[in-house]
Amino acid sequence: MAQTSVILIWLAYLLYAAAFAVFLIGFFTQRPWMNRLGLIVAAAGLVAQTLGLILRGVDAGRFPFVGLYESLVLVAWAIVLVWHVLESFTKIKAVGLYVMPVVLVLLTIALISYDPPQGMVPALRSDIVIVHVIVMLVAIGCLYVAGGAAIIYLIEETLLRRRKTGGVLGRLPSLAALDRLIYHATLLGLPFLTMGMAAGVIRAETFRVPGWPTDPMVLLSAAAWAVYVVLIAGRVRGEWSGRAVSWLAVTGLVLLLVIRFAAVPYLSGFHTYGG
Amino acid sequence: MHVVVAGISHKTASLELRERLALDDEAALRLSQELLGEGVACEAVALSTCNRTELYLYGRDSLAARQAALAHLARHAGVAPGELEPSLYSYSGDGAIAHLFRVTSSLDSMVVGEAQIVAQLKAAYQQACDGGCTAVVFNRLFRHALEVGKRVRTETAIGERPVSVSSAAVELALQVFGKLRDHTVLIVGAGETSELTATHLKAHGIEKILVANRTLDTSVDLARRVGGEAVRFEDLEQHLVVADIVISSTSAPHYVVTREVVERAFKRRRHRPMFLIDIAVPRDLDPEINRVRDAYLYDIDDLQHVVEHNRHEREKEAQHAERIVEQELASVNDWLRSLEVVPTIATLREAVEDIRRGELERLSNRLSDLTDEQRAQVDMLTASIVNKILHVPTVKMKEVAGRDQCYLYVDAVRTLFDLDSSEAADEAAAETGPSAAEADPAELPVATRPPAADVPPAAVESPAAEPPAAAGGTVHHLRGTGTEDA
Repeated sequence: MAQTSVILIWLAYLLYAAAFAVFLIGFFTQRPWMNRLGLIVAAAGLVAQTLGLILRGVDAGRFPFVGLYESLVLVAWAIVLVWHVLESFTKIKAVGLYVMPVVLVLLTIALISYDPPQGMVPALRSDIVIVHVIVMLVAIGCLYVAGGAAIIYLIEETLLRRRKTGGVLGRLPSLAALDRLIYHATLLGLPFLTMGMAAGVIRAETFRVPGWPTDPMVLLSAAAWAVYVVLIAGRVRGEWSGRAVSWLAVTGLVLLLVIRFAAVPYLSGFHTYGG
Repeated sequence: MHVVVAGISHKTASLELRERLALDDEAALRLSQELLGEGVACEAVALSTCNRTELYLYGRDSLAARQAALAHLARHAGVAPGELEPSLYSYSGDGAIAHLFRVTSSLDSMVVGEAQIVAQLKAAYQQACDGGCTAVVFNRLFRHALEVGKRVRTETAIGERPVSVSSAAVELALQVFGKLRDHTVLIVGAGETSELTATHLKAHGIEKILVANRTLDTSVDLARRVGGEAVRFEDLEQHLVVADIVISSTSAPHYVVTREVVERAFKRRRHRPMFLIDIAVPRDLDPEINRVRDAYLYDIDDLQHVVEHNRHEREKEAQHAERIVEQELASVNDWLRSLEVVPTIATLREAVEDIRRGELERLSNRLSDLTDEQRAQVDMLTASIVNKILHVPTVKMKEVAGRDQCYLYVDAVRTLFDLDSSEAADEAAAETGPSAAEADPAELPVATRPPAADVPPAAVESPAAEPPAAAGGTVHHLRGTGTEDA
């Protein structure tokens, strides 16, 4: 079973790579049908990855979020899922070009650091931890997509202002569409981030984790949360230009990445699931 | 038989000549029918757009067809044929089909990649079809041409990027706003390009058009034409607060809108982006406006630049489209070749021979009691039955090979015996090579009894003829593989 799970994750990995290649070719040769093909290939990858995760969970006898391998596969899975959901609502092209490489990087790290299912440390054996993980996954998926859209927005805005109309400009979504995608993705992600953080706080309080309010990870998460609140509040009141909104979304994304790849493994005292 | 095209286009003829040669629907059909009536062609389609007038003909003698087309076009335009001659181009065979495909792919258009030609060609064909001017070949060829046009459009980016200033402006506006519904455009000054751009924007769903000009009368005029609303020039600053797209083309010698004015407007319009297009020379809009956050300013040079670049892109895509045309030409050629008599006879005989052999094999168990000699007799018997049955159709087909409408017989035979579905058909057609039957049209007898009702009168009077020399000779040697050439 463990073997089947790994094979499925590898299959997903290859399908995502194929989807990325299709997106790239479609983007540069301007063949719209290739975008649809890429989406289908990526969806097939998502199915494989879902099955792989389920098998891994069955194998381990628990929700698969323990250790670096599981957590990264899970995050990548959440991003692809959220992206597909948002894509079906917004029909914005070119976002796959950003999402796919991010997912591929996450999966590459995961597959390199593959470890067999391990038992859960007693501290993680709690319903509120599961809630915390699931809610955070949705939040991260949304906010990664928002960050990607923001990067595209900033590039496109610069091209437009510098009148570099020749290259990729015509193949990118409109500024308005990207602005809406950033807004909607953040609007969806922020409540989940809030809930996830609340779950974390409840858990820390219940178990009286020493010094949790000053933990670097908690502080960074609070900063990221504040950034997203400012983004949403400003956007709703029309105070932020599209450029400012994008910079905020990118800042939030950077904070999330720092949390995941610096704070969790190296700085945090208690958030040890990442291995 | 040859496909022939003769006509004039923006590449060869002045606008004045094109105007005189323009055919309305009725004239186009009449011209086609006249050409059919004269017997120079069996099928005809006339295509007339503002950039070209062309006659497509399918006939035996490509030179005669061309001359007839020239005469008719000259008569229609009221000019001497000699006067039209230098502007007329004509192609036959592969050249003509390639030309048709290039036309539908908009490779021959004034603006490469423009989309209208497909619809225009479709209408021209439909009309000729309804008027009874097309048959097997053109029905297939023109449908194929429309498919080629579609394929070029989906497989290349030939029509993707705009190549006029006004459409480039609209595309940039779309790049900023996505959808134009619920947006407002403000036209400052009344120029032709700004009017054109406003019309384009309207086609893309923009709802509100404001027109501000120094003389109110001109504003009212333009506003009426584009379906907008005339506003006072003095209130320009106020309108900048609501306008998402600004098109300026006044003849003012100084900036009409300065950076300060735009900045003030942005204080009130918050951060909704504004797209400004300056078509005027000297410029109306302060270039500094581009530094204002959420304001994007493009002047006429920028837009020309976009257009230039896109033209270049289209030319690159056109090369890709040319390759598609070549591929499609090869596939249609295979089919046209199959409409010739000799390969069809060969294929027919091969198909029947296959049946005979198959049946013999199927019965080989029951025939096992026979001696070798007896078996050879059965073989000969069946072969002779097959030959007898095929003898008359073969002779008849070779007889019609010389006639204009012989390809209609061929098509009928191919349909009745389902020859096109077998692989053998393709092979035989390929092996026999091009047109043994029409190798030398001059030696072939004139048509005698054409099958269709709309018989060219000249053809009916011709005497019945011997089987054509080019196709005769092998009629009585029916046994064999069926790939023999006449």
